Amino acid sequence: MLQQPTRINKFARLIERLKQPEWRQYGATIVAGKVTGVMLVFCVMALVASLVGGAAYAQTPYNVKASDIVNPINTLWVLVAAFLVFGMQVGFTMLEAGFCRSRETVNVLMECVVDTCLCGLLFYAWGFSFMFSSGAGMHGLIGTQWFFLQHAPSTYEATGVSFLAYWLFQFAFADTCSTVTSGAMIGRTAWVGDLLYSVGVSGFIYPIIGHWAWGPDGLLATMGTAGNFLPWMGTGFHDFAGSTVVHTIGGSVALAGAIVLGPRLGRTFKRDGGGPMLPHDLTMATAGGLILWFGWYGFNPGSTLSAMDFNGCGRVAANTTLAACAGGLSAMFYGYPQTKKWDLGFTVNGFLAGLVAITCPCYWVSPGGAIILGLVAGVIAVAGVNFLEWLRIDDPIGAVPVHMMAGIWGTLSLGLFACGHYAAATPTGPDTMPGDVLTGLFYGGGITVLRAQVVGSLISTGATFIVAFAMFKGLNYFRVLRLSKAGEIEGMDLHEHGVPAYPEYALIPSAVPAGALGHVAPAPSPTREDTTVGSGH
Amino acid sequence: MIKIEAIIRPNVLDAVKIQLDEIGVHGMTVHEVRGAGKQKGYTQHYRGAEYAVNLLPKIKLEVVVPNDQAEDVVDAIVSAAKTGEIGDGKIFLSKIDEAIRIRTDERDNAAL
Repeated sequence: MLQQPTRINKFARLIERLKQPEWRQYGATIVAGKVTGVMLVFCVMALVASLVGGAAYAQTPYNVKASDIVNPINTLWVLVAAFLVFGMQVGFTMLEAGFCRSRETVNVLMECVVDTCLCGLLFYAWGFSFMFSSGAGMHGLIGTQWFFLQHAPSTYEATGVSFLAYWLFQFAFADTCSTVTSGAMIGRTAWVGDLLYSVGVSGFIYPIIGHWAWGPDGLLATMGTAGNFLPWMGTGFHDFAGSTVVHTIGGSVALAGAIVLGPRLGRTFKRDGGGPMLPHDLTMATAGGLILWFGWYGFNPGSTLSAMDFNGCGRVAANTTLAACAGGLSAMFYGYPQTKKWDLGFTVNGFLAGLVAITCPCYWVSPGGAIILGLVAGVIAVAGVNFLEWLRIDDPIGAVPVHMMAGIWGTLSLGLFACGHYAAATPTGPDTMPGDVLTGLFYGGGITVLRAQVVGSLISTGATFIVAFAMFKGLNYFRVLRLSKAGEIEGMDLHEHGVPAYPEYALIPSAVPAGALGHVAPAPSPTREDTTVGSGH
Repeated sequence: MIKIEAIIRPNVLDAVKIQLDEIGVHGMTVHEVRGAGKQKGYTQHYRGAEYAVNLLPKIKLEVVVPNDQAEDVVDAIVSAAKTGEIGDGKIFLSKIDEAIRIRTDERDNAAL
């Protein structure tokens, strides 16, 4: 109809339309839309009213006390340090991936990610409890409180740091240790074995043995005082940020694993005319090393657990830097005569060894002492790599010399280089009691500190290696530790993870060790098949 | 038609391409290859061990040209790629039976 409908017509039309189901639905939709719109308007009105319409209340007076600032500042410092230490995971991932071959890269990447995830959950469930709570009647061997972080106080012990922040900080340390362990086991560890030994390290070996050095009632920490372990020692075992607890433990587990696993297929050794397998990305490896150095600025200075001991934080950071610098150069120079080349692998491992070594004594040494012990650590890194090569142990990234051997050196060096001015960091500043100061042999302090360090290092390293060796032997017995020969030939990444790291490229190494052609690697530990391997791979 | 396969040092590739461009040859195929001939290779060092590198990175250039152009192409490649040291490479010539341009179905010399 062309004429405009009148009101009466519209009403009649409405009645007619309401008799049809489609028009009823259409009408209901329109009405619902309008109702929604109105409700929205009401909501906005209420919101605006609540924001601007409330009565103004006067602030209750709040006086800030010194202790109200100290705990938050210390907690903030610990948190920032924890984030830096966690950043070391990136460094480890890049370092390990760079030094391994392209065919095992995905496995290395997976291992780094998954062991971080496992470590977090395990450290939450019982790891932190084992390591940092007191254990009544346990003789300082293990903690028994706060499983699943239940019934924990709001701050950790005397540090005043928020409990969960402290948990995070220590989780980052545990994660570092468990990542170190994978370093010497690259390229031939089956995934199930990987998972199981990660559980063993993060859940049991690290927390329990770490408790001895760092637990509130730890066996080695309380050593040397009446009523405790070896009271005649005169002093306890000191490990400021974990040369032993994190690095030597990690390196010892790595060594045990590398021994039980045997070398990668096709790996020949220098004394048989062969040599290490070439790295596939030195850029990645070096950048990873530098990121580790960066993260170490949280690892060491953060272990003061106190921003109020600001001089301590500064000193620790400076010592850390100098030891790394010295280690890198000494390794480079020490490695030169071997091949008349300036080797990048040695240099990177050298500064890492310097960092590991300074980790124990960083609070107590002077910058000059840090340089000297860093120089020695760099030499240890190179000599250690050569030693393992001579022992026919396949350590793709030099994890054992850098972490285990330099860690032991760093721990012992405290007994030599502790300069006699520093005692401990506390939440409100440095501990200034003269009786608490540590003095090493070279500064006239006699062998008291050195003796305690030797005992502590021996006990920790020995216990770790024995337990780890037993664990790996057990895993090997059940055939879950070593990758099958077929898997290793097919390519670890394809076999375990279904994808190569560089699917677009056909990659072949540019060279084999000069004397290696025709040589066969010594037989690895028992695997699923017992057929002998052909020459090369 | 003649196919010219030239195995040359990687760093002379750009010079060769410029020379070929000047004589009017624009189409070519380039592969990254490894090879060895009289040039024995070199020794790498890593973590104190020695590594014999026997297969050296080279570039393989393939060009297909009409019969009368082959000699010019060979001269162009040789002049650009020769350094006088062992390891300059080799050039191989072979006959091509047929060539087809996929886009237009042209055959033989018209396809080049």
